[in-house]
Formats: sequence, C-alpha cells, structure tokens
Amino acid sequence: MSLDAIPIHVVNAPSGEPGLTGNAPPLLRELLEQVRRLLDTGEPSAIDLSALPLTPADLDWLHDKLGSGEIAVALQANGESTLNETGCPGVWWITHRNEQGAVTSQFIEVTFVPELVKAHPRDVAIGQEQLEFMISDL
Amino acid sequence: MQGPLIDTLARQGITRRTFLKYCATLASMMALPPTAGRAMAEAMAAARRPSVIWLPFQECTGCTESITRSHSPTIEGMIFDMISLDYQETLMAAAGHQAEAARANAMKENAGKYLLIVDGSIPLKMDGAYSCIGGRSNVDILKEAAAGCAAIVAMGSCASYGGIPKANPNPTGAVSVSDIVKDKPIVNIPGCPPIPVVMTGVLAHYLTFGSLPALDDKGRPKSFYGDTIHDRCYRRPFYDQGKFARTFDDEGARQGWCLFELGCKGPVTHNACATVKWNGGTSWPVESGHGCLGCSEPDFWDGGGFYKALSAPADPLKFAAAAAVVGAGAGVAVSFANRAKKSAARASHETTTLADLEK
Ligand code: SF4
Ligand code: SF4
Repeated sequence: MSLDAIPIHVVNAPSGEPGLTGNAPPLLRELLEQVRRLLDTGEPSAIDLSALPLTPADLDWLHDKLGSGEIAVALQANGESTLNETGCPGVWWITHRNEQGAVTSQFIEVTFVPELVKAHPRDVAIGQEQLEFMISDL
Repeated sequence: MQGPLIDTLARQGITRRTFLKYCATLASMMALPPTAGRAMAEAMAAARRPSVIWLPFQECTGCTESITRSHSPTIEGMIFDMISLDYQETLMAAAGHQAEAARANAMKENAGKYLLIVDGSIPLKMDGAYSCIGGRSNVDILKEAAAGCAAIVAMGSCASYGGIPKANPNPTGAVSVSDIVKDKPIVNIPGCPPIPVVMTGVLAHYLTFGSLPALDDKGRPKSFYGDTIHDRCYRRPFYDQGKFARTFDDEGARQGWCLFELGCKGPVTHNACATVKWNGGTSWPVESGHGCLGCSEPDFWDGGGFYKALSAPADPLKFAAAAAVVGAGAGVAVSFANRAKKSAARASHETTTLADLEK
C-alpha cells in the first residue's frame, strides 16, 4: 500500500507559515563577535543551530544572509556531512546527516578550517605506513 | 580490558571522523555547548572500557530490545563497544551456572568500579519469590550487586518507578531500584521503553566524565528530560490556536491537529520523543497520529485512561495555556528559556575543555 492511500496529510507547519521569529538577526551579531575573537586570539567558536528556537524560515534567512563561499566540503561518514564556507570567510555552515539523509545536527563554526576537515596526526601516520609499504613493493 | 577505544573502533572500520561527527550530534542532543563534542570525542577515544553488569528483573525485555535494535548497523552499537558488558542474560552466550559465575567474577574483579544497569522492577511480596534468578530473589541479587558498584542506571520505567508491574493493585509488591538502594548514585532512564540515544548519551557522559549527568527531581538526566513532550511537539501551534482532533478519523485528525482531547499526556510528560524521535529519527507517536501515553512518568499506567483528556491542569499545562494567550511568539521564548535552564554552559558558545564540562 502506498502512503497516498492513507487519507492523512502530514502537516508539519501550521497553516499560514511559521515565518520569521526574529531570533536569527541577533545571531549575526554573535557571529561578528566570534569572528573578531578568531582574528584577535585565534580562538575558534561554534553555534549549535539545533539548540536554538529557529524556524525553517529563520534558518533560510540566515543562510541567505551569509551566502555561500568558495569552499564546499562533503564528508561521507555514516551519512553525508557538508562543511561549507559561507560568504564570510572563516564562517562555516556545517550540517550532519544520518544514513537516511535526515539532518541530525547543524552548526555554524567560526574557524580558519573546521576540525573535521583536518587529518589527525595518527591517521596521517597510518597513511605514511601505507606509502612506505607501496614503495617497498616497487 | 583492551586498549584505547579509538583503536577498537578503528578495527571495526569506524573512522575518527565518523566518531567525531557522532560525538558532535550527541553533545547537541545532550544540550552541551557546541564545542563539547570534541572534548567528549577526545576523552572517550582514550577511555578504557569500564565493566558493566546488567541485571534484568521483573521486565518484558522491551528495554533491551529498544537499545539493541535501535538501528542497524547501529551507531548506538558503537557505545556498546565502549563498555565491557560482563553480564547480560539476554545477550550473553553463557547460561546457567556459567552465567552466574561470570557475574560473580566481574563483581569481584571490578569491585567498586563497575557500572550496574538494571531493567525491570523488584517484587517484594512473599519475600521476593515472584521473580528469582538461579534460586535467588531479585531484591537479594540487587543488594549484592549494588554494594560493589560505582553507580546504577535504572533502565526503563519499571526499574525507575516500578512501571507496569507496579500498576494497581500491584500484585507482586513491585518497587523501583531507588526504593531499595539508597547509598549509590542512581540515574533513572524512564520510558516504556526508553529512547536508545538517551541510554547511550548517559553512557557517553559516564565514559567522558566518570560521573552521571545532572538529574531532575525524579532522577532523570535533565539534558533529555528537561522539556515536556508538549514543549517541543510540532503540533503545538495547533494547540495554541485551539485546533483539536476530536476523534481519530475526523477532519482535525486528517489535518494533523493537536491530540490533546484524544488523551495526549504530552503536557505533563518529560521525555525527548518530540526532538529525538524513534526508529532512528523516523517518526514518533504523536507524528503517527496517537497521543503520548506519558510512559516516562511515574505510575503512567494508573493515570486515568490513555484516551481521556487531561482534566486537572498540572503546572506545565497552565504554563502552556499562558503561552497560548500570548501567541506563538511566547511559545518560542518559553522553549528557549527551557533550553537555557537545562544547561548554563550552553549560554556561552565558546570553546569548551573537559574541565569546563566537569564543573
Ligand atoms: S497536547 Fe500532545 S499533540 Fe497536542 S501539542 Fe501537546 S504534545 Fe502535541
Ligand atoms: S510519546 Fe509519550 S508515551 Fe510515547 S514513547 Fe514518548 S513519552 Fe512515551
């Protein structure tokens, strides 16, 4: 039986669109603070978007304002994650999805390079072993 | 005991980045500050596997089902690789005397350090004869195992509050773990059954900090049980607009309106279903068209009928009614405040170290 055969409309939003709550603009100020700190002290920071009362419209607004930058990173690890630089360099929009494609968490990170992108020294060491092995086989 | 956790995971093809990503999401669900994920990942990656003894008492094995069948090949399962599960009747290969010997052994070798998980209530009538394992009553086994443990996790509503066995007239004299054990830290993870990630969240917290998370007045982790179902329900705007389904097949039900009048206990039930959902985030009871039964609250079975609308407005309900008057805006502010209440640390979106989190 297909889903259409069940006479229920899934209504996720109240009729008349939830719209903007006004909770998104203050985040821009907070981001400015965080960017300043990154430049002054090199200290990275992050905002957990799933923890804030933001409607889909708020998130769209924020996404629109920040725009997209030059770098888009896709990470395949138990579902896809995207780590995309926004139009403001150093401000990254990070979305984690599970294997079904549902968003499990969403962050804005203020950092030169998100931690997840960097290779860990211990993993690099494993790569080194692999290379050595390849060369010994030549 | 084996080497650091990250090596165990790597052997199973779970990469460091997968683990980091998992920790970031877990930290977010636990209302820890956004950078806590990394601190957790670092601490957990280096952790040695603690010994865990899991005792099943008067229960239906639904809690075990919930945890072990969460989703496959489960990321939740990773957490189980982080512990050394030395006794779990349902999952272990050993049986009979061998199994009992394994428990005795683990208790001796890890005296004072093991984590005790209990599911099921403990019957006290007739000297506990209603539920025995290997000829010994549950209450007897619990007291012995509790004496040597570091902390206890009461899994599910039965172990937390007595649950269905305790339902009126409570023929077996069922009680909860905290009714019997008074001198150990106990965390309740109620739910019938509880949500898998709540369980793994508590384990992750224990592995990271070596302690139990902050608890509410009913012994539940605040990070998962801090809000009511109603606070976070996606049908809440309909409640605020006074749009209710009156039967399960009327126009309101088809439109996905609020299920309050059909007996939803969401307004007085603290649990994470509305945000974490069930079956790997697929859906949850209210989303499938049925009201909340209130399964994570004490004595939910005797609450006066699953399909009877709440009559005596409890506090959360008054609170909701006030929000309804002011409109949706207030609802948002309210859930924001709740979230803030849960974790002061959240307020500063700043770099977190393990030391900060332990405060
Ligand atoms: S009463 Fe139930 S269905 Fe209605 S908004 Fe509250 S939790 Fe959701
Ligand atoms: S919706 Fe209510 S009854 Fe259902 S699992 Fe969640 S807390 Fe329990």
